[in-house]
Amino acid sequence: MEGFLNLILEPINEVYLKFKGFFPNLLAMLTIIIIGVFVAWLVKAVLLKFFKAIKLDIWCDRMGFTALLRKADIWSKPADIFAVAAYWFMIIGFLMVGFSALNIQAIDSLVSQFFLYLPRAFSAVVILLIGYMVAGFLGRAVLIAAVNSGLHYAKLLAEAVRLLLTVLILAMALEQLQVAPSIVVAAFSIIFGGIVIALAISFGVAGIDPARRMIESGREEKKEQKGDVEHV
Amino acid sequence: MAESTDIVIGIPSYNNAKTIGHVVRAVDAGLAKYFPDKKAVIVNSDGGSTDGTSEVIKNAAIDHNALLIQHPLSMAHRITTPYHGIPGKGSAIRTVFQMAVDMGASACAIVDSDLRSITPEWIELLISPVLKEGNDFVAPLYDRHKFDGTITNSIVYPMTRAFYGKRIRQPIGGEFGFSGNMAEFYLKQDVWGTDVARFGIDIWMTTEAIANDFRVCQAFLGAKIHDPKDPGSDLSEMLVQVVSSLFDLTEKHSDKWKEVKGSIDVPTFGFRYHVGLEHVKVNVGRMLGIFRAGLDNLDKIWLDVIGAGDFGEIKSLGTLPDKEFRFPPKLWTRVVFDYAIAYHKKRLAPQHLIKSLVPLYLGKTASFIMEAEEMTQEGAEAQIEQLCLEFEENKEYLIKSWK
Repeated sequence: MEGFLNLILEPINEVYLKFKGFFPNLLAMLTIIIIGVFVAWLVKAVLLKFFKAIKLDIWCDRMGFTALLRKADIWSKPADIFAVAAYWFMIIGFLMVGFSALNIQAIDSLVSQFFLYLPRAFSAVVILLIGYMVAGFLGRAVLIAAVNSGLHYAKLLAEAVRLLLTVLILAMALEQLQVAPSIVVAAFSIIFGGIVIALAISFGVAGIDPARRMIESGREEKKEQKGDVEHV
Repeated sequence: MAESTDIVIGIPSYNNAKTIGHVVRAVDAGLAKYFPDKKAVIVNSDGGSTDGTSEVIKNAAIDHNALLIQHPLSMAHRITTPYHGIPGKGSAIRTVFQMAVDMGASACAIVDSDLRSITPEWIELLISPVLKEGNDFVAPLYDRHKFDGTITNSIVYPMTRAFYGKRIRQPIGGEFGFSGNMAEFYLKQDVWGTDVARFGIDIWMTTEAIANDFRVCQAFLGAKIHDPKDPGSDLSEMLVQVVSSLFDLTEKHSDKWKEVKGSIDVPTFGFRYHVGLEHVKVNVGRMLGIFRAGLDNLDKIWLDVIGAGDFGEIKSLGTLPDKEFRFPPKLWTRVVFDYAIAYHKKRLAPQHLIKSLVPLYLGKTASFIMEAEEMTQEGAEAQIEQLCLEFEENKEYLIKSWK
């Protein structure tokens, strides 16, 4: 009977001892997470004040970032979005640190992998953000310049420039994330090269007549413009 | 310390060998004829010409007897100097300011190097109001063909007049007279890294003179005929430089212009006469084509800048056949003011914002040209006067929306 009782109590005792050894780790994890939530909340509040002081929303309006958010059906202010992103970034960070306090090997290796991947993920996000703004800026510049030059296909030209840049930026971001890098580079080369060749062929072969007409009308316009209105 | 002088005449140039000889001779004759007892220097501020411009200046000679100038007391010195900084007319003129200040000049004038219609009398008309009447700034007044100077007529003149209350008809004329004090004031301003260093210099000089309460006047110079430029190719760039300088000045002097109501004439010197003007060929179809291309492609920008109401009106203009196309002056006034507000509130990159105004401006210009086709010069001038009054009346709208 005693042997049978031992059979029951030993595992319970073992679990109790394990839990006793594990409890400080659990406590440490909970403490880290609670402090983390508080720190993240504090950072969010400070960031919101800072963004307001530097007028980040106005700057984002000007750079077209707000328009991008609207396109993505996000109606929060850019400053709120950045502050909330920082908040969640910190929460995830503290969660990882908290989990590592548990001293479980599988979680430890997952956490270390996560931290090793962070710089790449951050670089990819920065590339995407800056790339989007550059593509938008250049696309708009091309659109306005093409309209002012009287080109009929202004929107098409601007969209082509935007598309090419977007493909380039996506390839750069994926390459940074190390998502099947060789496939990304090959796919990018094929797509980008294909677009350029397609444009060259379409302009060179299918566009011979329109090109001739454009050049001729350009010459005529130049002739007409001599003695044209003096704006200043 | 440079040798002192009474008068400095600045001639900015860049590859103007064909025309600058005539300009230098006219200036030289003007100085000898009207200011024989004054020490004068002609400063050619050159942007690195490679066509022998400086040689032409050195060799340009006048026959004083032929001009009935018996005893010129002192001949004007000629200096050719390269300018530094951003390439452009503004940087060239800055060098003239510097030399005028260094030489302690009492009166200065700037004349373009591609002028074909300049006469010795222009020097008298630009310098005398400063030397004899105590003015600080002399703006030019020309007889121009009704289709000429469309940026001046549709934006710069109405805005300057409505904002600062002085009727200076050619605020970006190209020729100016000014006092030594004025040159010193200009030189002290920190603007030489901006569009002022390029095409923006003319509007900047005029506006600073008015806004800072210097004594301003204008002088009638007759007709302005100069080397034909290629207006189509650099219109966007020209408009950006002129309008961004105008809007920057609006920003800078916002305390001043908000107080100004209506406008007054400024003293005008010179004998007014009518000049036979060369006909100007205009391609209205091309202008309307660009306006319509703008309507098709820049709709989002326009909607954001001018708002749904005015954009609706613009859109309905696009549906009119070419012959019936008319851009109402009230609508144009609101468009320009909305652009000034968008520039002030930094809604878009400045270059993009002002370049997106080009198709609207061309629509307005095409409309004016069609309206003025059958009009006399006076009739066309009356239209411009009407537009100026619209700007003055609608200024309250701008003041309310500024903040």
